[in-house]
Amino acid sequence: MSVIFAEKGSELDSIDKAILNRIQGDFPVSEDPYGEIGRAVGITGPDAHARVLSLIERKIVRKVGPFFDAKMMGYKSTLCAVDVPADKLKETASVINGFVEVTHNYLREGRPNVWFTVIAESDDAIRNILSEISSRAGVGPIRNLPAEKMYKVKVDLKIKD
Amino acid sequence: MDSKDKALIRVLHKEEIFKDPSPFKKAAELLGWDVEEVLARAKDLKNSGVIRRFGAALTPAKAGFTANAMVAWEVEKEREEEAADSMAAHPRVSHCYIRPAFDGFPYKLYTMIHGNSLEDLNRIIDELSKVSRAASFRALHSTREFKKSSPVYFP
Repeated sequence: MSVIFAEKGSELDSIDKAILNRIQGDFPVSEDPYGEIGRAVGITGPDAHARVLSLIERKIVRKVGPFFDAKMMGYKSTLCAVDVPADKLKETASVINGFVEVTHNYLREGRPNVWFTVIAESDDAIRNILSEISSRAGVGPIRNLPAEKMYKVKVDLKIKD
Repeated sequence: MDSKDKALIRVLHKEEIFKDPSPFKKAAELLGWDVEEVLARAKDLKNSGVIRRFGAALTPAKAGFTANAMVAWEVEKEREEEAADSMAAHPRVSHCYIRPAFDGFPYKLYTMIHGNSLEDLNRIIDELSKVSRAASFRALHSTREFKKSSPVYFP
């Protein structure tokens, strides 16, 4: 995915961009990764470290570190949808959000209107969570929509100079 | 994966670790291991695919993507694969899955699409609609974020 930063309000200089392109897909796994990053873009290790911290603080970078494959670790994931009347939204959202296994939860246009993702240790664990949500919030049916086939999961964003 | 791998995953999953000037040395210190073992196991986890990559994720809005939508498409059963492949190949589609249909919701092909304006997003949706020859679709724009968090592994 190529990313074009807005001309106006662009907060990245060429070194920031070089750092991002260096670390997005391949953060060095070594004793001194920031030293390596610095060498790759022509600055010192401490400067590279300070710039990465600044990118995180400015919320340009959401996360630095490992990106796990939940499935490879034996975890199951799914997308769920449930239609919730307006007067029950607040309560239902708080019941759903209360589960650490729920990672994303959005109100969306149309029906059903509440869409959330669950990552748990087994299909049974997911089913239990869904039936608890259903009974505690008094909503349902909750549609459990695990992927039958995955064609793409991509989080890399290539930055243009 | 053994219990040491799980311990390492728990430590590397902490967001603060990579803010340290020496992340892998810091992990070694927290685990009471040599840094060599941390690096060797981290590389093994990467090679085996448990860790897809070490890297950085940008905030989509900060990266210029201000209009994002989940779009679900209705595609004839025989054309599902072909349509999914063509959508997955589009650079602005980050996620693409086939999921079950349910009562009143025949849209099985799910995509996450990123645009730098609502116009741009609609243009991409239009483009994908033609390429995939989808019968119909639903653009499920989010109107409120209730929760967005990282998964918890091996608590």
